[in-house]
Amino acid sequence: MMADGDGVIRVLLADEQSLFRDAVKVVLSSESDLLVVGEAGDGIQAVSEAERVRPDVALLDASLPNCDGIRATQQISLRVPTCRVIVFSAQEDEQILVQALEAGASGYLSKGSALVDLIDATRAVHRGDALIPPRMLGALLKRLIHRRRERDEALKRMSKLTRREREVLALLSQGSDNDGIAQHLVISPETARTHIQNVLGKLGVHSRLEAAAFVTQNGLLDDLAGVTG
Amino acid sequence: MSVLIRKGFPTRKPQVWLRQTDNENAVFDPETEVVHLMNSTATAIWVLCDGETTPDEMIDAICELSGLPREVVVEDVRRILLRFEEADILTWKE
Repeated sequence: MMADGDGVIRVLLADEQSLFRDAVKVVLSSESDLLVVGEAGDGIQAVSEAERVRPDVALLDASLPNCDGIRATQQISLRVPTCRVIVFSAQEDEQILVQALEAGASGYLSKGSALVDLIDATRAVHRGDALIPPRMLGALLKRLIHRRRERDEALKRMSKLTRREREVLALLSQGSDNDGIAQHLVISPETARTHIQNVLGKLGVHSRLEAAAFVTQNGLLDDLAGVTG
Repeated sequence: MSVLIRKGFPTRKPQVWLRQTDNENAVFDPETEVVHLMNSTATAIWVLCDGETTPDEMIDAICELSGLPREVVVEDVRRILLRFEEADILTWKE
């Protein structure tokens, strides 16, 4: 995956601190295969610079002002899909690592890492590798397992719903009220209310809001997609 | 497909402790006074040997994270768990 013919990896660097950017830029520029083609001091600028210069790799601080590094990663992944993103943060933070990977980042580093690690990381993600600090690997896997268990449990509960109740849940999670659900499904509001009560009972939640949260938090929107026709 | 050495929950022996630094991972068993050096994959699996996680769950998570073919991950997990057992730092909960 080379961006240009001479094999140079074009890098976008985003950090609020210009001193940090300058230091990293000097180090990266000393490598013959790395070229800093853009800089940004906040998240919005990072996204627009990524669209403008279309770098091979973007190095983003997680705590950028005006659209943090995680949201900027999401945007860059959407708008410049060829760009690989590395997120870095002040300390190793499992939460940030997970959020960064979910947002589409290919790698994560803490600012405590050696600069040579940043250089290696830039090359590695450009090659297509994923980069996770080894010390965080176990905790990350644990979190993935936990999430998978929760999703399996959620799917188990959702499997108890009838087709009609799944339609009701889909509409609920899209923000429809009783009348909206009734109208969409061509049923009476009373019947809609009964379906909703059944859905809440089977899912083990106490409110419509909780039901909607159940769907989004467990990533079940795709499983419900299409049931409302 | 599920190819595993045995069913149950691999469990770290409680007295064995893990030390992780930037360059090295090692577990120390004070009973035998033996230090076992580990690579990062073995260390990650060691962390998952909490008595609540099945090898299948470990394999699924590693596949999801690494994108490696399942058969490769199955073999790695099987081999690493076997080594832990041989080193007598792991037990199995049913």
